[in-house]
Amino acid sequence: MRFFKTSILVVLGLAVLIGLSTFANAQEKVTLRFSDWHLTEAPWDKTLADAMALFEQRNPNIKVALEPVSYKDKETKYTVETAAGKGPDIFHLHAFSLPMFFDKGFAKDLTPFIEKEGGAKFLEPWYPLCINMMKYKGKIHAMPGDYMSMVLVFNTELFKEAGLDPKKPPKTWEEFLEYNIKLTKPPERWGVAVLGAKDPGFELRFSPFLWSFGGDYLTPDNKKSALNTPEAKEAFKYFIELFTKYKVMPPGVPTMNAQDVRTQLAHRKIAWEIGSGWTAPIVNSINPELKAFDVLAAAPLPSKKKKVTTIWLSSWVMNPNTKHPKEAWELLKFITSKEMELNWFVKNRVTSSRKDVSEKAPEILNDKFASVIASQLPYGKVVPQIPQWPEIMDAFTTAVQEAFTEMKTPEKALADAHERINGILARKK
Amino acid sequence: MWTFFVLPGTILLVLVLGFPAFQSILYSIYPEGGGSSYNLNNYSILFSDSVFRQVFGNTVLFVILSVASHLLLGLGVALVLNMEIFAKPLFRLIALLPWVVPDVVVGIIWRWMFDPVYGSFNDLLIKAGLISTHIQWLSNPKLALASVIFVNLWRGFPFVMLILLAGLQSISTVLYEAAAIDGASRWQLFSRITLPGLKKMLVVALALDIVWEVRRFGLIQTMTQGGPGNITEVLSTYIYKQYFQFFRFEYASAVAVVMTAALLMVSLPYIWMISQEE
Repeated sequence: MRFFKTSILVVLGLAVLIGLSTFANAQEKVTLRFSDWHLTEAPWDKTLADAMALFEQRNPNIKVALEPVSYKDKETKYTVETAAGKGPDIFHLHAFSLPMFFDKGFAKDLTPFIEKEGGAKFLEPWYPLCINMMKYKGKIHAMPGDYMSMVLVFNTELFKEAGLDPKKPPKTWEEFLEYNIKLTKPPERWGVAVLGAKDPGFELRFSPFLWSFGGDYLTPDNKKSALNTPEAKEAFKYFIELFTKYKVMPPGVPTMNAQDVRTQLAHRKIAWEIGSGWTAPIVNSINPELKAFDVLAAAPLPSKKKKVTTIWLSSWVMNPNTKHPKEAWELLKFITSKEMELNWFVKNRVTSSRKDVSEKAPEILNDKFASVIASQLPYGKVVPQIPQWPEIMDAFTTAVQEAFTEMKTPEKALADAHERINGILARKK
Repeated sequence: MWTFFVLPGTILLVLVLGFPAFQSILYSIYPEGGGSSYNLNNYSILFSDSVFRQVFGNTVLFVILSVASHLLLGLGVALVLNMEIFAKPLFRLIALLPWVVPDVVVGIIWRWMFDPVYGSFNDLLIKAGLISTHIQWLSNPKLALASVIFVNLWRGFPFVMLILLAGLQSISTVLYEAAAIDGASRWQLFSRITLPGLKKMLVVALALDIVWEVRRFGLIQTMTQGGPGNITEVLSTYIYKQYFQFFRFEYASAVAVVMTAALLMVSLPYIWMISQEE
């Protein structure tokens, strides 16, 4: 009897202890580190801060620490920190960086979380192309974010001044050149600027030229360079001559980055650029006097053999080193929810990788920029998703700069890039 | 007993310097993309890579011209600031300012100043009647490296000036007075008294400046990112690119090892010279 009483007391004591410790754990606040290059950009910084405040309000046990990083340095920061067993719990990348991160094991497998949420049914709202780009060895290692096509963003007032009808944007690259010649009045104004710096934004702007002429960077199996085709050579020459022969691009293009180009657009130095949903808000923040939302308009990119544009897709990655995977998943779910994807559009004009937002939301369908961007998504193409891609792009932009600055003829620069890219692909990985 | 006192410092040095250096060497002989045995394949790729050879040449040119211009301008300004001139402390302060500004900030400011459309540098030169049209300082392959070196001269000469100014102040004025009585010319005063008096300081300035210029990164990265083409690519930006953008850890380590070896070959004689004099 005595033994029985003692046993009951011990069990009760243990139950109280477990209960207390559970209570203590429940009260313990988890801090998640959230990093995004948008935190350095207006108006994104405020949108994200407000969204995180809302998340904290709905999840009182989770605190989100915001970690800004520059667009250019994000890969460096995440690589170094993740390799050292640290890093933000959730970070933002553009999709073309993913293969390198997947390859190095710098992204957590999200499949178990997705399975718990319902698997295929949970993923149904997203465009299948976007989900496929998040996969590595059949498993989903990231969640898709913004999904946009590249379009022409142009200044309607400068069109009118040059005697062009803003309602009739160019449909072919030949027309595009004619429009540019009419718009160019140096040193006050040039037609178009396309960044020529070694910047991740370069391929977004250049690729439609290459693809619509019928060319490509690599062969379909991604094993060889395809820059030696007549189509690739023609596209490259056309692009380079906009600067060297027709001089419809402003001086300095070979070292311009995306923000330099937007600054030129904001100050009426150029009439248009190849941009997307983010262009008007950023141009507006650079020069509010331009009244970018009224003055700027969007149009599909011109074409030649194919109607095609580049797809911008961003992604959200969970750090494999996270100590709070459950909470990190809650945050991932929140930032990719229908509610937040619509919020990103309303506040920052970026369309979503969710069909139930980009194809259904009246806010998008009635917006003069977003409606054009969404209409071009079916013509979207992505650059090859291989780990060697950044190195290949570096070799290619080197050729572009060499041709822009007439260090080499377009033919020689492209031939050298072709050789170099084949060398990169031949190297054993 | 003395070893006991030196031990903590030695351990710290080994941990902070020795371990990463050893790790880099190990990485550099590790096969790219994984493998079972260590080899020198990364070095073989490196020396057969035409871009690496160009980058190495750019680095040598950048360092020689930067260090030489730092020494010339630094010495010139130090000589002026050592004279009895009006508001000397103020001028000394002004001359030091470029050195205080971080590399990255200098790069961004000058990139804007060199902008061919908006840049103030072109406007200034046009107003002064020195040029008639806007020049593409950073986009022109003939001017890009020279433009970066010019900015590096502006940024880096104050350090050399500071060292040489300290050296000038340590030369006794009695020597100049005695030489003047003997009828020595200005050039003789400079070549027979000033230069020999500055020898040690010149060696220190030269050694430190070479080491720093080989490692110069932020300025070039913010101004040109190594472009146009590979015209302004130097070893430090090349290593950064290989490691952080292309994720070629092993190859980047091999380049870093070569860079360190080259640096040691250049700087060790100076270190030895200084230690001999001491």
